[in-house]
Amino acid sequence: MIVTIDGKEVSCERGEYLLDIATRAGIRIASLCHHEGLQGQGCCRLCTVEVETGRGDTGRGEGAQSGSFSDKKPRREIVAACIYPVEAECVVYTDSERVRRNRGILLALLRASAPASEEIAELCREFGAPDGARYEVQSGDGKCILCGLCAKACQTLGTGAISSVGRGTAKKISTPYDEPATVCVGCGSCAAVCPTGAIEVAEDGDERTIWNKTLTLTRCSRCGAVTGTAFEHYRASVHAGTEPPDLCPDCRRKAMTDTMAKTFGV
Amino acid sequence: MNRSILVCCGTGCIANGSLAVADALRVALAGTDVAVEATGETEVKETGCNGFCENGPILRVMPDDISYYKVKPEDAADIAASIGAEPLERLLYRDDNDKPVLRQADNPFYAPQHKIVLRNIGQIDPQSIADYTDCGGYRALERALQMTPEAIISEVEASGLRGRGGAGYPTGSKWRAAMQYGEYPKYVICNGDEGDPGAFMDRSTLEGDPHCVLEGMAICALAIGAQEGFLYIRDEYELALKHVTKAIRDAEEAGILGDSIMGSGKKLRLAAVRGGGAFVCGESTALMASIEGRVGEPRAKYVRSAQRGLWDKPTVLNNVETFANIPVIIGGGGENFALLGTDSSKGTKVFALVGKVKRTGLVEVPMGVTLRRLIFDIGGGIVGDRPFKAVQTGGPSGGCIPEKLLDLPVDFDTLTDYGAMMGSGGMIVMDDRSCMVEVARYYTNFLAEESCGKCAPCREGLRQMLSILTGICEGRGLPGDLEALEEICALLIDSSLCALGKTAANPVLTTIEHFRDEYNAHILEKRCPGGVCRELTGSKKDGTGVTSSKAGKGDLRV
Ligand SMILES: Cc1cc2nc3c(=O)[nH]c(=O)nc-3n(C[C@H](O)[C@H](O)[C@H](O)COP(=O)(O)O)c2cc1C
Ligand code: SF4
Ligand code: FES
Ligand code: FES
Repeated sequence: MIVTIDGKEVSCERGEYLLDIATRAGIRIASLCHHEGLQGQGCCRLCTVEVETGRGDTGRGEGAQSGSFSDKKPRREIVAACIYPVEAECVVYTDSERVRRNRGILLALLRASAPASEEIAELCREFGAPDGARYEVQSGDGKCILCGLCAKACQTLGTGAISSVGRGTAKKISTPYDEPATVCVGCGSCAAVCPTGAIEVAEDGDERTIWNKTLTLTRCSRCGAVTGTAFEHYRASVHAGTEPPDLCPDCRRKAMTDTMAKTFGV
Repeated sequence: MNRSILVCCGTGCIANGSLAVADALRVALAGTDVAVEATGETEVKETGCNGFCENGPILRVMPDDISYYKVKPEDAADIAASIGAEPLERLLYRDDNDKPVLRQADNPFYAPQHKIVLRNIGQIDPQSIADYTDCGGYRALERALQMTPEAIISEVEASGLRGRGGAGYPTGSKWRAAMQYGEYPKYVICNGDEGDPGAFMDRSTLEGDPHCVLEGMAICALAIGAQEGFLYIRDEYELALKHVTKAIRDAEEAGILGDSIMGSGKKLRLAAVRGGGAFVCGESTALMASIEGRVGEPRAKYVRSAQRGLWDKPTVLNNVETFANIPVIIGGGGENFALLGTDSSKGTKVFALVGKVKRTGLVEVPMGVTLRRLIFDIGGGIVGDRPFKAVQTGGPSGGCIPEKLLDLPVDFDTLTDYGAMMGSGGMIVMDDRSCMVEVARYYTNFLAEESCGKCAPCREGLRQMLSILTGICEGRGLPGDLEALEEICALLIDSSLCALGKTAANPVLTTIEHFRDEYNAHILEKRCPGGVCRELTGSKKDGTGVTSSKAGKGDLRV
């Protein structure tokens, strides 16, 4: 199947997500809440593009509210590329006037809510977002844009220490009752997937502090690099019966090469 | 002649003491043995809501068809004594010319109404399955059992029925889509979450005639091939939950539902589910997530629920009122149903008429009646005969319609064309002492709190819209504010994930369009023409508008 993105014909499988198709073809669609391993968020809406469908297809739409059930004419709609499965040949515009306008306002809104985020500021520059002078800037050093990736990562790893709580403008990501989460193992996966660097991880000597919880770090017995937290290894040993690692991945590889070298006498 | 006294025991009348009235009547009637020979037996029956709750407790003596309003337990003896004799004039409704009205059909509130959905409510005891079958109930289901799924769906398509939950999606098409997928199990869901502040048609239907909703669902299940279904009921609706639960049990015990629908060998298990308590849980995909035990947040609808809905299986989800129409369509024929209404909107619609009208309540009218007829005939005009300013239709994400559009026929497409919505049928009438900027601020606040907060345009857009609108109401408006609002509105419409965000701009856009002067008075002259905005008038006026039990914070000051 062929989709045409910004005039470029790209072949794809039926049902593939538009963002993946574009990325493969080297076409940039900005995204924030998309992460390869944690697909399906679709909530930052930065990746919205304009799609022209309906040349003979069913005229699906996201909003049943649109009431456009009867028009079979080709139509242009705004979709979130990261979760939009391509089911029929279509023409995609990633930088049309309408896309640019929406993206600009959205970025300006995000900047007002996450004023301390360098990533958002950079995106605003890249896409020429309006200044949003009329917007009320959230106080504090907010960087979180509530994309939900952290909670999803934590849940996917089976820990589930953080989740989104509340709704509407009061929504936030937090541990239960804002207390240090008993189940948090301090692995830092949440911080690793965060697109705006909003989750603070502080390391001081043999301790890591994250989500108001301080955990003891374990280190590689050879090079001293951090291999995780003691609690993380303890939980893994309870659940999966794994041994705590003695070496970091790098040293483990080196150790293996050394052994091989010795064995084969190179 | 045997009589029944129908005592309204809907939520509204119960709150006004109707249960005590029913008890007092039973006592009083038991004391008039002597009269029985002359007048026959009189039974007291507790019914669902008559829609005119502000005049409750309401009671109706049948078959004489005499309706009494604002009845108190102390009136019971007089009422008992009046049976078969002179009506009690002091309890009759007085029309606009102060003439007492005997029959419900002559009451100006009821006269222009046309009841299909509410056909049985107020006439039957909702807790009695026999009452329902006595007035023709479950006969449409019997008929549907003799029909093929194709024939059932064709009938629904011929009726032109469109979903009453807000979007107006053609019901027949929805069912056909679900029928076509060969994946099982399939599900049928009734949306009784009714989150719009002020709306209570679904509550009244579930409370007052639960079997007609079950019958509609059963017909749908036959058509699409579902064997399991859920009624998702707003968590505060205790009475509705109770009546629905009893109705399901009774229908199963009677062999009408359950393991073999009327002996056909076809199965349907229904269950009532308590709602998640958030407005957004009424959105179809959030509702399904909630039934599955997940957080009630919407998902993108690139794949329709008819294909992948509840537990990723083909699912039909319809509103309470939509299902309530189904037995009438299957029983009386789709084409007959389509005789009523406009080209694109068939049948009737139930509205909750509230605000500054003389008569408020639940009214069912054919699609296509004008707003003027609703507000000035049924509603009796504006309280104190003040000037009409606007009517807000369609719930929190509906729009405000000004005087000059009062002759618009009310149907799905006309309302949508003017930026308002049918929504669930909320209709709030406002007089000259309301402030349209405040109205926009109120709904924006409601939506900002009730949005799920998942997607950025809706959450951040509403946050900034609320901040700008609050600024305007408090005298901090700036030139350019309206353009800033419109820009955000355009983003919400285009980019939000679900229909809450996509329609959240309506209150703001319609008030800017029709009441721009009022905005400008606030922004440029720091003046509130309605005299509502405290910071601009130096006084706070208490409104008598509609309170949202869900938003909690602040009533609408209309
Ligand atoms: C935020 C939001 C809230 C909704 N709340 C309700 C509701 O309380 N009841 C309802 O029937 N539909 C509600 N809907 C509409 C449903 O998503 C859905 O379209 C409808 O129930 C489908 O039934 P119908 O086709 O019979 O109208 C809501 C939609 C949105 C976006
Ligand atoms: S539009 Fe609003 S309510 Fe709908 S998914 Fe987005 S944040 Fe949630
Ligand atoms: S990347 Fe966030 S919605 Fe697509
Ligand atoms: S409850 Fe009696 S009229 Fe509504």
